[in-house]
Amino acid sequence: MSKQTRLRTQELREAQQAAAVKRAHRRFLTWAGALVIVGLVAAIVVTIMAAGGRERTLPDVNGAVVPPQHLTSSGAIPVGNTDAPVTVQIYYDYMCSFCGAFEEANSAELDRLVADGAVRVELHPLAFLDNLSSGTEYSMRTANDVAVVADAAPGSVWKFHSDLYAQQPEEGSEGLTDEQIAAIAADAGVPAAVVDRFTDGTYRPWVASVTKKAFASGVEHTPTVRINGQEFTGDLYSVGPLTDAIESAAGR
Amino acid sequence: MTAVLDSVVTEPDSSRLHRLRHHNTTVWVTMLLASVASLVASFVLSIDALALAKDPHADLGCNINAVISCGTVGTSWQASLLGFPNAFLGLVFEPAVITLAVASLGGVRFPRWFMFSAQAIYTIALLFAYWLFEQAMFEIGALCPWCLLVTLATTLVFFELAYVNIRDDNLFLPRRVQAALTAFVRSNLDVMLVTAWLLVLVLAVVLKYGDALFA
Repeated sequence: MSKQTRLRTQELREAQQAAAVKRAHRRFLTWAGALVIVGLVAAIVVTIMAAGGRERTLPDVNGAVVPPQHLTSSGAIPVGNTDAPVTVQIYYDYMCSFCGAFEEANSAELDRLVADGAVRVELHPLAFLDNLSSGTEYSMRTANDVAVVADAAPGSVWKFHSDLYAQQPEEGSEGLTDEQIAAIAADAGVPAAVVDRFTDGTYRPWVASVTKKAFASGVEHTPTVRINGQEFTGDLYSVGPLTDAIESAAGR
Repeated sequence: MTAVLDSVVTEPDSSRLHRLRHHNTTVWVTMLLASVASLVASFVLSIDALALAKDPHADLGCNINAVISCGTVGTSWQASLLGFPNAFLGLVFEPAVITLAVASLGGVRFPRWFMFSAQAIYTIALLFAYWLFEQAMFEIGALCPWCLLVTLATTLVFFELAYVNIRDDNLFLPRRVQAALTAFVRSNLDVMLVTAWLLVLVLAVVLKYGDALFA
């Protein structure tokens, strides 16, 4: 064998070895990739199956349903003059941003109409957006708290309600903390002894049951606003249209 | 000598699937389909944007049954980042991608600087698409099916464009990087990467919204 041929053979062998290493390396990466893909598909399937087996996000709370005192016969929290000619029912969730927009546009007008004795507001707090508060159940907590206030300090319900919306957290955030909600209630004139009951969660089963009832009775979205029982289908998010509808209902 | 080495090292995998995947037509047809899907989605989203502009309260509320439970994506500030609906960008740029794909299918070879610029611009588009996806998922908290289609299609177009530009050495990369990327693409690891990536997105969506979607 000439020197040149030997050198050539050796070079070829080295090249072949390098290629084999590369091939093994590539085969390993391919298998690892395939494994990752299979794992991901499995995770997706498991997640979907698990979700399919669960109930929808309507709250499910164990325990006896204890309604707060001072509710209307229809189970709403009343605000204002019992003999007012017009009743405005509002179905809402404290996390619902559109409910916040509704309050921003209309709360001053409703304030005025309630103070005049022209309108009685019936609040229907619902809790169906708990999936938007990163696990802190903001909708449920606030609905429970407003029920506590309705039960023990009914005179402060409206202010507490409005102030909660004035400081509404963003959807998807953790919402306000229990302490922040307590501070808002205290500022709204709710006595400390009543505020202390917020974290008991006494009315959670009641909130869950009225939420289910509302949806079963045909409420499809929040805010749903009814004037003397008729759903208001006008513009909910600017000042004026609701007032006009209320005034025309009063004139009837 | 080098010819021998090359043939040993590269050793093209000649399975039918491999050949189909690396066929020029497959690449451009995939890009064409993805960009057409993106254009259609942009068109639908533009019409929605006009409807929302005419009546901002068009059927808005926190719907009890819809996956899009609250705060619809279309009315968010993110939906018109530049002062007009984002979807208009799709109407402007996707036809350019479609033209690129069709011309290439017809045999046109674009100059290196052109392909490089296309990649650079499309990288911005990809970042924008993913920023929107992230915002919709975690800030707005809603799913928008047409937006998801745009995310998917943008990913596929970016991926195919990158494939072509790596194959044709259009990216002015250092030699070592270019060689590594070429080997990566030849071993089909890029396909795996994109598949895994899309599956991660699907997993994220079902983890966050599975309850609302399937329950």
